[in-house]
Amino acid sequence: MASLAKLSDESEKLYTALLAAAHESEEGLKKVFFQPDLQSFAGESGRDVKELMPLVQELINHSLLRVSRLGGALCYSTRPRDAAKAITMLNGDEKLIYSHVEEAHSKGVWQRDIKKRTNINQTIVQKAMTKLENQRLIKSVRSVKNPAQKTYMLFHLVPSDDVTGGSFFDGGDLDESLIRELSNLIIFHVRMQSWSDTKPKKVKRALSPVIIDNGSTNGVPISPNSKKKRKRPATDDIEDAPRKHRRHDEDEVVEVVTQLAYPAYTRSYPSAEGIHQFITTTDAIRASKAEQLTVAEIQQVVDTLVWDDRLEKVGNGYRTVRGISFKPVDYGGSEQDSGDEGKGNGLTQAPCGSCPVLDLCSDDGPINAGSCTYWAKWIAGG
Amino acid sequence: MAQNLAALCIALVETHLGELSAQIFATLAEHGRLTIQTLVARSRIPSRRVRAGLANLLEGQLLLHFAADDGAPTYYSVNWRNAYNLARHANIVELVDDRYDERAGHMVGNILQLGHARIGDLADAYELAPGSKRDSGIDTTANGVTKPGMANGEAGIGAPSHAQAPSANEFHATLRALLRSGILVKVAPRSYMPSSDLQEQLEETVVLQFPDRKVSGTKKQAEFRAGMGALKRAWRDEDQYSDLHDSGSQGTFKRPGEQFQSSNKRVKLNGASSGLDAVTGGQEVPKLSSDLIVRVDFTRCTLALRNRRLQQLAKNFLGGVAAEVYGALLQVLEGKERGVCDALPDDEDEDEGNISPVANISEIAEILDPTIDLSITIKDAASRKRMPNGTGKHLKTEHGDEDDDAALLGIKPEAQSDSENESSANGYTAHRDRANRLKLIEKHLFLLEEHMHCFCQRARSHTQNSNEWQVNFPALTSTLAVTELDRTIRSRYGQIPLRIVRMLREKGKLDEKIVASDAMMRIKDVRAILTDLQFRGILEAQELPKDNNRQPSRTLYFWYFDIERVQSLFLQQTYKAMTRTLQRIPVERERFRTAIDKAERSDIKGREEQKLDAVDKQRLREWREVEERLLAQVARMDDMVAILRDFSGWDTSLAT
Repeated sequence: MASLAKLSDESEKLYTALLAAAHESEEGLKKVFFQPDLQSFAGESGRDVKELMPLVQELINHSLLRVSRLGGALCYSTRPRDAAKAITMLNGDEKLIYSHVEEAHSKGVWQRDIKKRTNINQTIVQKAMTKLENQRLIKSVRSVKNPAQKTYMLFHLVPSDDVTGGSFFDGGDLDESLIRELSNLIIFHVRMQSWSDTKPKKVKRALSPVIIDNGSTNGVPISPNSKKKRKRPATDDIEDAPRKHRRHDEDEVVEVVTQLAYPAYTRSYPSAEGIHQFITTTDAIRASKAEQLTVAEIQQVVDTLVWDDRLEKVGNGYRTVRGISFKPVDYGGSEQDSGDEGKGNGLTQAPCGSCPVLDLCSDDGPINAGSCTYWAKWIAGG
Repeated sequence: MAQNLAALCIALVETHLGELSAQIFATLAEHGRLTIQTLVARSRIPSRRVRAGLANLLEGQLLLHFAADDGAPTYYSVNWRNAYNLARHANIVELVDDRYDERAGHMVGNILQLGHARIGDLADAYELAPGSKRDSGIDTTANGVTKPGMANGEAGIGAPSHAQAPSANEFHATLRALLRSGILVKVAPRSYMPSSDLQEQLEETVVLQFPDRKVSGTKKQAEFRAGMGALKRAWRDEDQYSDLHDSGSQGTFKRPGEQFQSSNKRVKLNGASSGLDAVTGGQEVPKLSSDLIVRVDFTRCTLALRNRRLQQLAKNFLGGVAAEVYGALLQVLEGKERGVCDALPDDEDEDEGNISPVANISEIAEILDPTIDLSITIKDAASRKRMPNGTGKHLKTEHGDEDDDAALLGIKPEAQSDSENESSANGYTAHRDRANRLKLIEKHLFLLEEHMHCFCQRARSHTQNSNEWQVNFPALTSTLAVTELDRTIRSRYGQIPLRIVRMLREKGKLDEKIVASDAMMRIKDVRAILTDLQFRGILEAQELPKDNNRQPSRTLYFWYFDIERVQSLFLQQTYKAMTRTLQRIPVERERFRTAIDKAERSDIKGREEQKLDAVDKQRLREWREVEERLLAQVARMDDMVAILRDFSGWDTSLAT
């Protein structure tokens, strides 16, 4: 095992070509080559399968090529030269372990799983692991999903998002403040493009007594919606008077508007890609962090914002829900501006709606409508 | 019948009709249909009192009764829907108040309380007809109507205040408008029969047309079904109010619909949709027959309530102006719909099948309040110099250069200089204003369509310039229900649990790790929330053991949210909460017993102001406040029941 013959020139050429191709491709060293690929890379010397085989075999012997199986066909991927050199120095068990770690790629693999798969004794596995670690062939990382388990992967690999948890994890822990700030930033960005701001305007119904007079003198009814227009006959029923008054006032002002909608179908609201573009180009977030953020991650934040009723999907993009602004919001739930929204409904406002013992409440049991303390409190609460 | 609902109905009957009726109702609820004899035996109430109670219940339409033929004993059974509807009275009165006016609301309140009413008796109660002074038992004061059973000192005293009392003309106009809108319907003897008996009678009638009373073979069966359908429709039409058949003999006679095509053209231009107002201007209204018996149609009211909720939902998302437009659209559609849960599908050859009704923009414009400025909430819609305004000619706008100021105020300055004659003479301007307004309405409709809830759709959108719009009610009613669930969850458990619930609703069954990562939360926080929600019955977990041992540690749990289950859970809780609220009323009454008793003494009743001292008056006021709050809470919970149960029209648990 110790001494391997020096690599032949043809093999050397093939390896260099493959390595270059692998580096060029997006997958890097993970790039796999099938037999036809090898043939084309080998050029003159590999025109025939018979001529190619020895070259490939030689590279495999030198640990410069790794064999795996993809969709039933054999395929090959390259290894860096120094790793290959180190590997050739390893013994059989270690090699086996190394190949398992390598297979796991950036996902990493647990020590226990290696042991199970290779059927090698615990102590030997442990010994091999330390050796490989010392030789800087593999490294252990901490996985978000299983922080207690040691996860191993090849030394030169960057742990995948599955392992680190993605951009929103900082050393295996959820970076909540980042998420919060990002949410605010997104809302800020989307808000600017969703609604046109304006000075507060009151939308009123034009309640002009002039018109009413006109109408009645001419014998022409004023409007179909009597309640909105007709002057109510003065009533001497005192109990009704205040209620009417209030309603009357509400009728006059439909609402106070500060956000104007853009006409429908005329506007493309920002999509997750657009938001990602904005986030990564703005200076609000540390450059290294911004670089890491993917569209999928932004989509994730956007999704939670949709679930929180702060963004709404329009066509392919998003806009903020009316009345939502980008001020920091603590998720208390009662932050809604719009009237009774957020204040619950008939059920939750009644004591029974939030009663912890509603299921035990019965007509003849110890808990009933008469003995209920929540009702007493509710009624006393005014 | 669910236990909670039964308890609620009994509590409602007790609040409205007293203990005796409640007891009889409870017995019937427990045992199903009974004859008087068995009812007496089961309830252990003397036969005379049972009969009195039954009469009471029947008057309130809370019972169904059926006798197979003349000699056969009559069977009584409860009418769940109507019993529950007692809780809806307050909401319906408010709805009518809102849509028509308080006079109409008052009238509807009276009819609701009576169950059904003869027009003649109603008229007597309002002191319209000087004729027979029957004791119709109508309480014409404002208080007693919506708050029955109230120990209200002022309730039940005095004659109707004259501000409330309508003229005969107004009275009939109001009733007619209510009948036309379907809120009131004619009562026919068949409304009191259980639906199964009705069905049997139908079949019996139809089968007679077949020789030997045999229906065999597919062809015959199809014929039979068609016959059934035809007869059902015939009965339905027979039972329906129509202007034509139910007019009284006196008064001018008008054909149905003539209200709309009134000779006064201006009325039409103003969109006299209700007819109610069109006639207050002094026209003679045809009187209704005094023998016509009317009741309130709850399905129709449910429809109207649903539309109001939808409008509210739209308002939350798109603001009041768009919501007003939407409300108008819904109202147009409402007039074209039969009912939420119309049990009988229309025949295909009648060509009114399942095509959902469409509304034309100009119809919407007619109903829409012409004084609302539609341009103000849409960006750039107001860029025109002359802003479009109401359809009414005299509501024309003169916008000079101070365009912006006016826009800021949001009110169109009424063109007072612009006299009416002028504006109506200038037909071109009026036409252009109208066209602009229609365009603005369309813009709002597009906004509503664009929203993710898809509040409305353009009918036949493939044709380029379709002016017709429709609403996908089934989808929207379930949206309403789901938002109601969300609101409940949020106010009970907070925003974060709601986030998880919504995620699970969208994505289906998920493992807690995925829940945590998608909700962007720490797994241990998520776990706590998930378990809590499971405990409350909101979420459920499906176990998926990894091996045969089924150890919890080697099991995956997939969490999911079952909308229907939670919906019925909340519904049951609402029933229970309503029952408890109603049951709390007598408990509270006990606290104010002395003051109430004093006020109800025969020598004081009617003269509370003079006879009671300040302390008692204060106590009475407090009591009234408490009772009103409790009843208002019941009404609010009824809103929720309506959303969760009635709007979709799918729920048949109340079928009678």
